[in-house]
Amino acid sequence: MRAYIAFMKKEFRELTRTYKLLIMGILFFILGLMNPLTAKFTPDLLKNFMPEAIQITITEPVAMDSWSQFYKNVPQMGLIIFAIVFSGMISNELTKGTLVNMLTKGLSRKNVILAKFTSVGIVWTVSYFFCFAISYLYTKFFWSEAVPNLFFSVFCLWIFGFVIIALLLLGGVLLKSSYGSLLITAGVIGILFLINIVPTLMDYNPLMLSSSNTALLRQELQVSDFFAPLIVSVGMIVVSVIVSISVFNKKKL
Amino acid sequence: MIALQTKDLIKSFGPQKVINHLSFSVPEHSVFGFLGQNGAGKTTTMKMVLGLLKPDQGFIEIFGEKVKYGQTKTNRLVGYLPDVPEFYNYMTPKEYLQLCGEITGMNHKQITKRSKELLDLVGLPINRKRIGGFSRGMKQRLGIAQALLNEPKLLICDEPTSALDPVGRKEILDILSFVKEKTTVVFSTHILSDVERICDRIAILHQGSIAMEGGLEEIKEKHTQNQIQVEFKKAKDMETFLMSEKIASYKKNMEQKELGVIFSFKDIESGEQAVMSAFQDTNIIPTKFELLEPSLENMFLEVVQ
Repeated sequence: MRAYIAFMKKEFRELTRTYKLLIMGILFFILGLMNPLTAKFTPDLLKNFMPEAIQITITEPVAMDSWSQFYKNVPQMGLIIFAIVFSGMISNELTKGTLVNMLTKGLSRKNVILAKFTSVGIVWTVSYFFCFAISYLYTKFFWSEAVPNLFFSVFCLWIFGFVIIALLLLGGVLLKSSYGSLLITAGVIGILFLINIVPTLMDYNPLMLSSSNTALLRQELQVSDFFAPLIVSVGMIVVSVIVSISVFNKKKL
Repeated sequence: MIALQTKDLIKSFGPQKVINHLSFSVPEHSVFGFLGQNGAGKTTTMKMVLGLLKPDQGFIEIFGEKVKYGQTKTNRLVGYLPDVPEFYNYMTPKEYLQLCGEITGMNHKQITKRSKELLDLVGLPINRKRIGGFSRGMKQRLGIAQALLNEPKLLICDEPTSALDPVGRKEILDILSFVKEKTTVVFSTHILSDVERICDRIAILHQGSIAMEGGLEEIKEKHTQNQIQVEFKKAKDMETFLMSEKIASYKKNMEQKELGVIFSFKDIESGEQAVMSAFQDTNIIPTKFELLEPSLENMFLEVVQ
């Protein structure tokens, strides 16, 4: 346990000194700010730039618009940049050989994987909820109306972030390179998109956690519809981490 | 007590057999030189000892405890310095040693004390300078410091001096001979003068198995050639000397050079006497008179070819 904590401390020192934490902070701050602002001001912008002869009706923006921006920007921009930044979390150490000293000092390989997973998970959690908090405050400020199921849908996307982290870790352990990490993650996400073709499997697809959030807010889908994909996602996370550990245990360094 | 023992190790990478029935043992409190050409299998052997690679067959014991691949409990007894140690560039040496100490389970007080001692020993200043800006020699010295942190009973160094300049090499060797009082040192190298300076036992690895093993003195004695080298100031001196009757009977086992000769004798003492009395007879003073010691280089080349 001490070794695990020591390694976690090292991870956070690395994240701060290599500016990864700062990059994530700035990225998710901007995203958080962007969502309500674009929702609020896009209609005004459109109105100003539209030639006078053309008449279109622009509906007054609502809180819902801000949240649909949130569920577009965070998975499409935030998570992708997040994945790219952390794609090398394990492969960098493997290719550079920095882990050799740690392992010969008695750090178990299991702890390496778990510490990586938790530290990146904490970064995801903090930056994601930071982004959410900013969006939430601004949205509240512009529009006071409440949006149903908001916190549950935020929770769903948060879990989906962990699916990505677990896949990045697995890819890094399997292919020993950051591109390999991205390749495996993108491959699995691609397969999940393909699965959506089969209607019966669609209801279990973890992808739902990042793509159907607005449907949940509009109450086209119910909270209970997300239970199955949530369970599948948690299963995927657990399996990926366990497979990563057992593959890493057999890896020669 | 035996510090390190390997028995009948075999390791292949694909079709290539890198280690072939390797057995050797290192007694406690010795400095063990592990010699071999590039690609002879030195690093592979060390990685197996550390549990970083899995042997196909055979076993390894460290102070009587078997090494298990992957879960390396035996590593608590071992300090390891890789050939090119890699550190976290964004840390200072002190922070790095602290991380190492915490991982091995030392307490805070011990870590602070040992770090200071060791950084002192290897001559690294304690300041805010990060490892990223270090030279190779400095990294190698930090490597030794981290390897010695938990006072290991066995220190394994993989070619610690190969990449260094003469000053850096001397510093590393000085540190190694300093620590041999407290710990057993195994180090691999192909720099023979380093071996002669600090090792008391050697093993020469060739094509995956031990070609020669034993105490350095003992091996040298075994390979004594009974040769005497004589050198002269002028060619004329040499001619006169060679005319002497005293050495006439030894001339057939003689190798002649431009300004010197090398005699090979069956009985070294009577040979020495004969050469000396030849000097007296001819009234010639040599510039050099030397009993030839077997050089490690010759032995190495002999074994490896």
